[in-house]
Amino acid sequence: MAKLQNSPKSDRNRIIAIAVLLIVLVILPILIENDYVKHLLIMACISTVLGMTFSLLFSTGLITLGAGAFYAIGAYVSAILAINYGLSFWIALPLTIIISSIIALILGAIFVKNGGIAFVIISLLFANVVVIATGQSEFLGGWGGIIGIPKPSAIGPIEFTTKTAFYYLALTLLSIIIIIYLALYTSRIGRAWRAIKLSPNLAGTLGINLYRYRLLAFTISSATAATMGSFYAHYFQTITPNAFSGWLSIYIQLYSVLGGLEYYIMGPAIGALIMTFIPEYLRVIKEIEPIVTGVLLLVIILFFPGGILGSFRNRAKNGDSFIGKIGKRLSVYKSWVFKSK
Amino acid sequence: MTVGLFIQLLINGLSIGSIYILMVLGLDIILRGTKILNFAHGQLYMLGAYALFFLFQQLHIDYVLSLVLAGLIISLIGAVSYLGVFHVIRSRFTVSTTFSYRLLLSAMASVGLMMILQQGTLLGFGTLERGVQSPFPQIIAIYDIRFSLQRVIVIALSVIICVGLFLLMYKTRLGKILRAVSYDPEAVTLQGINTFWIFVICFALGSGMAGLAGAIIAPLFSVTPTMGQNVIFLSLLVLLVGGIGSYKGTILGGLVIGLLLSFGFQFLGGAAELFVFLIVIAILSIRPGGILGEASE
Repeated sequence: MAKLQNSPKSDRNRIIAIAVLLIVLVILPILIENDYVKHLLIMACISTVLGMTFSLLFSTGLITLGAGAFYAIGAYVSAILAINYGLSFWIALPLTIIISSIIALILGAIFVKNGGIAFVIISLLFANVVVIATGQSEFLGGWGGIIGIPKPSAIGPIEFTTKTAFYYLALTLLSIIIIIYLALYTSRIGRAWRAIKLSPNLAGTLGINLYRYRLLAFTISSATAATMGSFYAHYFQTITPNAFSGWLSIYIQLYSVLGGLEYYIMGPAIGALIMTFIPEYLRVIKEIEPIVTGVLLLVIILFFPGGILGSFRNRAKNGDSFIGKIGKRLSVYKSWVFKSK
Repeated sequence: MTVGLFIQLLINGLSIGSIYILMVLGLDIILRGTKILNFAHGQLYMLGAYALFFLFQQLHIDYVLSLVLAGLIISLIGAVSYLGVFHVIRSRFTVSTTFSYRLLLSAMASVGLMMILQQGTLLGFGTLERGVQSPFPQIIAIYDIRFSLQRVIVIALSVIICVGLFLLMYKTRLGKILRAVSYDPEAVTLQGINTFWIFVICFALGSGMAGLAGAIIAPLFSVTPTMGQNVIFLSLLVLLVGGIGSYKGTILGGLVIGLLLSFGFQFLGGAAELFVFLIVIAILSIRPGGILGEASE
């Protein structure tokens, strides 16, 4: 379970670690020449935020299989604002956040009434309906999507023509979102969310309004996803419904589960980095990619349920090696092969 | 709208709806008994259709026998996947594991299983569409009302399977145990019943329902590797509308969704699924737990 309190010493270590990480991230594009690697880094930033939105909802005990839905909504709203109304990215972005928050508030008011299994199903269906609806709609460009979305206009000397500029923009958005999320997690709201996750009934008896806190979490996570959707639309300059369908929402959970579910920010970040870079470097054939992902998912869940970070922490604590851990897990199979219990 | 068209759409809707009912009854048995939301259910349905294709079309086994065999094969696949994946996950849970964590792990595992089965079938059998020759190709024509006998057979078979399931659930000792497990597995264990095998049976039974649904529908539609993906979304919709954990609700939901889809496709075309989803949202905003269900935490 999530740690509720931190000692001052671990806080200091954490601040040093974050400072080092930030410096590395800032000087990274200077060290890397390759544009494609920069593109992957930008996509990793987007994926991290999407994974964080999943973790935010999971911190209230809600499991969403439709984290990609508001990412798509954000991208489309921003694209329409930019093309049909000629707004620049800097005006379209805040407007997108406001509009998507309103949509999320209205839909969430219905969705969040159900917890547990029903919410999983509703979110999954909603993500698919968004894709079908955008594909069917002529106004939104049908299955061909929207092309020719303008790049963000220059602010002062910074022009958004290179990948490096976009990388810094993505990093800035990511940092702002992380700061907001950290503030939320450490505040009364965050504690209420975790209380709901631990036991909805107990939280209810303690005077926490389940419905309102969950609706708040749903709205915040949707608005965050929409922010990145807006960035994606202006970065890619083309959006199609198929970019948001298929396995996208499933990959988003994979980021969180792979990194570690109990780490609301570092978990998705590590998961997103791994899931963005490893398939590219393994050069897996497109056709067997879902099988590789599926097997990876099963292996993580069966053998490393704490994710990468969780496994490392357990190892530091108990001295369990990875191999020993797998052996321990496999003993479950042994028990029902030799002795039907 | 003529009477002929109406009857035709009605029978189409009922035949689609009855398949959804079989699917969702299977999902619901698994969900109630083992608390796993099995996203790989649609792939089991697809494998059921493939099983019928190979048994009936290639090996020329008797139609009814190949249906039963297809159901059994898929049950076996379901049981193996339970033992290999879900049992291991469940065995790790303790009393203090939160409900959302249990749900997430089993749902994610089933998503992984879904991806493997889906892409495995695609690689193994190719994207080729396969048709199963209908064993009942006759067209029934009463005045201007025309419909294929196969659709009526689909409805009849579904009714027979549903009745069989209800007899199993409410008239036998095994059914009593299965229902008891869905309320309190600990209490069932205390009565001296080995719940391990009950969970396996639960999963096999639910998977078998999906396999049977696929095998029954195979002569009507072409058999493709993507057929499972399309059906799982609508099955989940039926589960939502009817209410989780209510057999009556499932049947009602299946009929409602089947008819809405059948009439929707006729008058709205491609937007039918959107229309159905909007209606479901409207129903859920009035009754959060579905028509006959209760809202969950």
